[in-house]
This record gives sequence, structure tokens and C-alpha cells, in this order.
Amino acid sequence: MLQLLTVKKLVYRLIAALIVLAVVMVLCSLVGSQNISLKAAFSPSSQTGNINSDYEIFVHVRLSRIILAAIVGAALACSGVIFQALLRNPLADPYILGISSGAGLGAIIAVISGFSWTLWGRSPIAVFAFAGAIGTVWLVWSIGKVTGKSNVTGLLLAGVVVNAFFSAMIMFLTSIAKSSQVHATIFWLMGNMSEEKFEVLWFGGGITLAGIIALFYLSPQLNAISFGEKDAKSMGISTAKTQTIAFAIAASITAIAVSLSGLIGFVGLVIPHAIRLVFGPDHRQLLPLSAVFGAGFLVIADTLARIIVAPAQLPVGVVTAIIGGPFFLILLIKYTSKIGWAK
Amino acid sequence: MNIIEVNNLSFAYSEAEVLRNLSFEVEQGSFLAIAGPNGAGKSTLLNLLCQMLKPQSGTIVINERPIESYNTKTLAEKVAVVRQEFTPIFGFTVAQMVMMARTIYYSQLGFESETDRKIVTEVLNATDTAQFASRPVTNLSSGERQRVFIARALAQNTSILLLDEPTSFLDLKHQVDIYDLLKSAQIEKGKTIIAVTHDINLATQYADIALLIGRDGSYHIGKVKEVFSLKQIEEVFGVKAFSGTVGKENFFLPLGKFAKDNQNIR
Repeated sequence: MLQLLTVKKLVYRLIAALIVLAVVMVLCSLVGSQNISLKAAFSPSSQTGNINSDYEIFVHVRLSRIILAAIVGAALACSGVIFQALLRNPLADPYILGISSGAGLGAIIAVISGFSWTLWGRSPIAVFAFAGAIGTVWLVWSIGKVTGKSNVTGLLLAGVVVNAFFSAMIMFLTSIAKSSQVHATIFWLMGNMSEEKFEVLWFGGGITLAGIIALFYLSPQLNAISFGEKDAKSMGISTAKTQTIAFAIAASITAIAVSLSGLIGFVGLVIPHAIRLVFGPDHRQLLPLSAVFGAGFLVIADTLARIIVAPAQLPVGVVTAIIGGPFFLILLIKYTSKIGWAK
Repeated sequence: MNIIEVNNLSFAYSEAEVLRNLSFEVEQGSFLAIAGPNGAGKSTLLNLLCQMLKPQSGTIVINERPIESYNTKTLAEKVAVVRQEFTPIFGFTVAQMVMMARTIYYSQLGFESETDRKIVTEVLNATDTAQFASRPVTNLSSGERQRVFIARALAQNTSILLLDEPTSFLDLKHQVDIYDLLKSAQIEKGKTIIAVTHDINLATQYADIALLIGRDGSYHIGKVKEVFSLKQIEEVFGVKAFSGTVGKENFFLPLGKFAKDNQNIR
């Protein structure tokens, strides 16, 4: 009998993963420097007009931040899956083509210029980071096209060069900035979460979810493309179209994630690998499961970032790297027999 | 009926012209072997036949329709390709990979149908690859892997099968296995097989017609016996060879300057 993914198997696994995610999110929202209880937060006495602080902390402080972490985690993990498939490179992550340095450059420009306006409730840092990310991707894609149609190597080289150049710009600006500005920038560069308004979460979450669903529909084609463009083409796949759309969506959701929370590393690299090692490389399953586990992973990491040095907070990027590294190594050792690219 | 018609086909890379005014026809259900020295344009021709390259002049007609009238998907319904280069990444299993040939037939949601499964099971059995269907493609020997790639091409269920040197890197047993497999696909399924090959002896045993392309743009097309004559082989490849006959067909042994039997031929 053929051992292949079926719709039923996928739906069961996805539901199970979503339940785990929901449990993790609720548990994490109960943890923090202030003890709260769900019972108190939703007890009827809160209706009487005086503020129920348990409810306030649970919903507006903790839950909003946890939802943010989930959105960002899902976006980065999916984007990592896509970049690894498109570049046919297991070492690829959402930042490989320079999105990170572009966003970072945008962020530091916003910090130094000291703008104080807001756009749709977003700070100048977020707006500039988003613009920097999208601008960089467009630049890299255009350079990659010039160097050789849809050549992966050209794209990677363009990414490396743009990345190096923008990083140099970031260092230059950091060196001439005031120390308070430098601190704000560094915190942003390491990835940082904070409470967000629910409108922002709806917007960011909505776009991310739409992007992931669209990518899911491309996953059979991505499967074929992992065997090379020529092979995919002979199997009837319009490679150029698939690559362009997947690339645009992955870049967009990464840019949104980056503008919401700064540069959080490791999620986009580790989660796709971990899911691939355990569940196999089929993108129809890899993509949705990466989204759910990426969300869960970042929720846990951010909770740790909140509590390890409470009442102070760590940048979540530090935590993802510290727990992501060993976690990934364990997986690697345990499942080496399963990985194909090791050969 | 001619399933492929090539007329006055020319192609040149920026450095060199490889095909000049090439014309030939392939009858449906026949086995064509394409041979010639390195750089003569065999692989180029194969890439032209599957739309990976565009002809600079001349026409290619597939199933009585010019090749330009096909898009990637509709051509993949007619032509399947087995390539030499292998760029695997991630640990897809044999079954997963062979199933990918059915991608264009997937449901809206992106999943295979019962028919797709039936076809894949069938080709896995036919190519004797079912036994390692759940193993990652990367963990196969080159002989096994080549059978899997042929299985994938068969799963595409096309009337034309293009192969680029399907037996290079394979040992003797695996070489004949591959040719037997191709021949059975031709006989049992009526497929048209076009294989680029360096193995003239095996091609002679299995193919019906042959195309011998020289480096200068000259070519010979016709029955295997006529095309693969000692004179033409020596001329096109620029070697001295010994030729004998097995029974029905001839065989050729190229002999270089220092070969032990160099002095013993003719």
C-alpha cells in the first residue's frame, strides 16, 4: 500500500496540533510576574463596573501579546518553509535574502530621525521596518532576475550582497547614533514583543492567515519544484509563476512579522526542519504544521522572555536562539536517518 | 502516424551552433535512439522536444500540433522526461516522488485521486520499485534511482517518453534492466520512446530507428542497422572500431591507439 498523505490524516494532525497550541496559549497567559486566575478573570463580579484587574491583565496584557507571538511565529515558520523550498537550500530562512537587514535599516532610520507620528496606530519603527523589508525583497528579486532569469544562485548572491551592504549601513548609523537610540535599535534588532491593540492583531493575523492559506494551495507545486525547475516543468508545473507568487507571499508575511516584533531569529529555520524531520517533507503538511508549531514555539519562547528575568524582560530573539539551538540538535541526532539532504 | 515531426530545426548557443537544419519524423509507438559525440547537440535536441529550449528556426510538431501551441501543462500531458542530473533535496520518499508526476491531475485542494493512486501503484510494480516505495529517494543506489525516475515519467501517463542517457553510471545488469523496462513500455503501452544514449550496442538491440548526429551539424536518420554502420560510426565519432555480428544485429568495439587489439582489426 502506498504511504502517502491523505486529507483525513492531514486534518486530524492539524486539529491535534491546534488543540495543543490553544492549550499552550492559555497556559502561557496564566504565567507571569502577576498571579492571575481564569476563574477570577471571568467571574460575574466583573460586570459591576469596577475594573477586574485579572481580566485586564489576562486579555489586554497577556493574551494580546501571546496572540501576537503566535501570529509572528506562524508567519516566520511558513516563510522559512517557502524560502527553503524555493531556494532548494535547507539552510535558508526568512531572512536569507536580506529582509532582516532592510527592515533593520528602516528601523534604525526611524529611531535616529526621531519621528513621533503614527500610521494606522503603528510606530514609525514598524512602518519603516516594513517598508525597508519590502523594498529590500523587491531589490534582491530584481537583481536576481537580471543575473539569470529564475536562477537560484543569482538570487542568493544578490541577497548576500544586499544584506552585507545594508548591514554596513546599519553599523554606520549605529555608530553615529546617541546611546539611548542605539539601545532602542538593538532591542528591536534582537526581536521584541509587546502588547498590541486588537485591531493590529486582527489585521496582521488576517493577512498572515490569508498568506498561509494561499501558500497551502501552492504546496503540491512546491513539492515538485524541490526536485529542480527542469523536473517540475516537465511535470507540467508553471515554475516561474509558482515561484513568483510564493516568493511574494512569503516576503510579505515576513515583512509584517518583522514590523510587528523586530528581528526574531531561529523560528524560520528550526521549525520547518523540526516538522520535516518528524512528519516528512510533503509541503501540504509541512506548511500548516509549521504554522501551528511555529506559533506555539514563539508563544513559549516569549513567555520565557517575560518571566526569566522578571520583572525585567529579555528580547525574545535571545530566547528563541537559546532554546531553539539545543532543541534542534536533539531532533537532528534522533532523526538523522530520516533526513535526505544529509547525504 | 507520425507523433513527432521535426523540420529544418536549427539551434545555436552563443558560443556554438549545435543543430543545423535537422529534419526527421518519429512514428507513434516506435523507439528512437539518438547518438553522437559529446557536444553534437543530443541533449539540446531533447530539451527542444520538451520546450525547455525554443528553436531558433525550424518547427517541431507533436501530435499534429506545433509545439508552441502547448503550454507547460498540456505538454506535460503528452511528453514525460527522464533527465540525467539529479537534484534532490529534502527526504521525499519514492512513492511521494512518483506521485508528483500526477500533480497536474490533482484535485482543487491539491490531493491525489483514487485513479492517481492506482496509476502510481501500477508503475511502481511495473518498474519493480514498489519494494522500496517508502524509502527516501536519496538513499537509493543509482540503478534503483534511475528506475524510480522512469517510474515517475511513466506515471505521467504520456504517449511520449524522452530520456537523457538513461543507463550512464549503471552496471551491465541494470543497463539491460532499464532497456527491458523501456521496451516493455513501448510494446505493452504503445509509448513512443526517445532515448539519448552513448551505448550504441544496447541501442542497436532495443531501438527501431536511430539518429546519429555529428559535431559538424551532419546527421543520419533511419533504421538502426543502416544508421549504425561501421563506416558512419567511425566517421561521426572519429574512432577506429571493430564490428561483428551477434545474430540479428551488429556490435561495435571502439579501439584506441594503445588498445591491445588495435593492430588486429582490418
